[in-house]
Amino acid sequence: MRRRAFLATLAASLTPRLSWADIGAPAFLAAGKQGEDYALHGLSGAGESLFQIVLPGRGHAAAAHPIRAEAVAFARRPGTFALVIDCATGITRHRLAPPYGMQFNGHGTYSPDGSLLMTSEVVAETSEGRIGLWDTRGYTRLTDWPSHGIGPHDIKRLPDGRIAVANGGIRTDPVDRTKLNIPDMAPNLALLSPEGALLDQVDLPGLRQNSIRHLAPMGATIAFAMQWEGDPAEPVPQLGLWTPGTAPRLCPPPDAEAFAMQGYAGSIAATADRILITSPKGGAAMIFDARGTHVATHHRADLSGAATSQAGFTVTDGQGAVWSATDKDLTPLASVKTQWDNHLVALG
Amino acid sequence: MRHHTISPVTRCLPPPAWGRTGVAGLLALAISSAPGLADTAAVVQDHARPGYAAFALAATRLAAIESCDPEALRPAFQATYDAWMAVAHLALGPAEEDGRALAIHFWPDPKRLGAKAQTALLTGDPAALSPDLIAQQSVAARGLSGLERLLYPAEALPADPCPLIQATADDLARMATALDADWGPYGDLLLAAGQPGNDRFLSEDEATQALFTQLATGLEAVADRRIGRPLGSFDKPRPDLAESRASDRPVQNIRLSLRALRDLALRLNPDSPKTKAAFDRAIGLADALDPDIDRIADPQGWLKLEILQQAVRATRDTAIAELGPALGVELGFNAQDGD
Repeated sequence: MRRRAFLATLAASLTPRLSWADIGAPAFLAAGKQGEDYALHGLSGAGESLFQIVLPGRGHAAAAHPIRAEAVAFARRPGTFALVIDCATGITRHRLAPPYGMQFNGHGTYSPDGSLLMTSEVVAETSEGRIGLWDTRGYTRLTDWPSHGIGPHDIKRLPDGRIAVANGGIRTDPVDRTKLNIPDMAPNLALLSPEGALLDQVDLPGLRQNSIRHLAPMGATIAFAMQWEGDPAEPVPQLGLWTPGTAPRLCPPPDAEAFAMQGYAGSIAATADRILITSPKGGAAMIFDARGTHVATHHRADLSGAATSQAGFTVTDGQGAVWSATDKDLTPLASVKTQWDNHLVALG
Repeated sequence: MRHHTISPVTRCLPPPAWGRTGVAGLLALAISSAPGLADTAAVVQDHARPGYAAFALAATRLAAIESCDPEALRPAFQATYDAWMAVAHLALGPAEEDGRALAIHFWPDPKRLGAKAQTALLTGDPAALSPDLIAQQSVAARGLSGLERLLYPAEALPADPCPLIQATADDLARMATALDADWGPYGDLLLAAGQPGNDRFLSEDEATQALFTQLATGLEAVADRRIGRPLGSFDKPRPDLAESRASDRPVQNIRLSLRALRDLALRLNPDSPKTKAAFDRAIGLADALDPDIDRIADPQGWLKLEILQQAVRATRDTAIAELGPALGVELGFNAQDGD
């Protein structure tokens, strides 16, 4: 076994690696379902599928290698595996499994030079959070760090190398994902040094049932999106902003739109001056300015994936449509038979 | 730490999307070519538009009453509320723009936001009650829920409610009339689903799916909110949390919303025998309930309401299983999926 693994690693390292530009410079990665089949697609800026690679089941999210045409696709939780896919050939180069007793928790991110992959993970029995580190030369496990919370979900690297972790706060059953601690859950947002040391951490007093789940770096600020686990009749914000060193700020929409998102933000993306969050449950996307002031709400059933693009934002929905989203409106870019899944990943 | 500023930006949102997509052109399309699928056409023409027209008429009649005597206003208030129950489940299009449905009916309200905002209006500057300004007040203070607190006050009001009653009724009539008017072009968009230039519904299936989704979420709202909130638990029933308890409508609202949803289901697909039977069973149980919601404090009364809740959930499951394949649509791929 050891020898086989070694040979596989050797083979992988010897195979010429193509860059994203070599395979048509896709603008986005998106997972989706067509009929009963699941696939990972590369999408052009115009929303057209440039390639698709069959996945063994419904994916959760993907992370793209910053240079090589290579992506890691995470299985749905409880995540027992992740696949490193060569997007030029469609070949699965590596099948990653977390160490015994651990599970992937949906997201991962590469270092800017692509040498490291970081994965959000939990100790299966307790949902205690870990950040797994992988050497991307052969996708060997290096170590793991505490995430400093329960149930980490999204992790993002900031431009300066620090790492933001959304510790969602929810303890889940290791087998069926039943939520086990809703009455006393306590999410937090943690900031780690490039070496994994805890630098800063904030939580949401009074809103502990608002699970912090997805992140979008925005200069020195981290925009974070939340999912409410409390009484659905309570109006709560789905967006928050945190500039480390200061208190987090919550950004509610106007009261008439307090329930437009149904308490649930599925994805978040941020440009220099705008933040967009989607809600498949509410069938809506909201745009805020950099200070967190609501600018617009656009309605469209089952909107979920969101990423930045040249025009502002690109969003995808479960009916197969890809949209350009601006302050003014949603404009359809492309529509296909593929039902786009939770997340849209911008490349480059 | 929390900032709750409502910026000026939010007061000048762009017009609703269907107002900008060349409605005139789409209207021509809808008329000049075959209308959309029969299911969509039946819902638009025989369910939604007549429902909104009746609601607008009832709200206008309520607003036309000169008296501020609650006794004189209550019958028209009840009629308006009845009319709203026929369309309240259509939470798409005009009703979702700018939170209009919330401003018409803000419930549940566990933090009593409506009562607090309304007290401020009652005791504040009467100039805030002008038609333009009332429309900018908290959605929690307005609409049917706001009127109910003024016409069926639980305790003495802190000031003469007459100006606020009139302003709230006028505001409600204005919103109802706008919804009725907007369902003209919005209905045309549904009917012209999949036609060139229709950015709202990119295919006929999308229009069908949007209406099918209203059926499922409407039944969930009846089971989880209208029934679920007062039901509480066997050990702790909460009739005090029931919808519109002050105006004695909790059971009436359950009955009317089930009838409205039954109508929607059978317009979507008249040939749905299992769904029809499930609705008829649930409606039979609802009609047999004691109209006094406080009776659920008794174990027998509580069990009857819980049996109804199960029947409503069974109706939802039956409708999804029967209508979904028949219409060729399913509920939202991501909306049904927690992440």
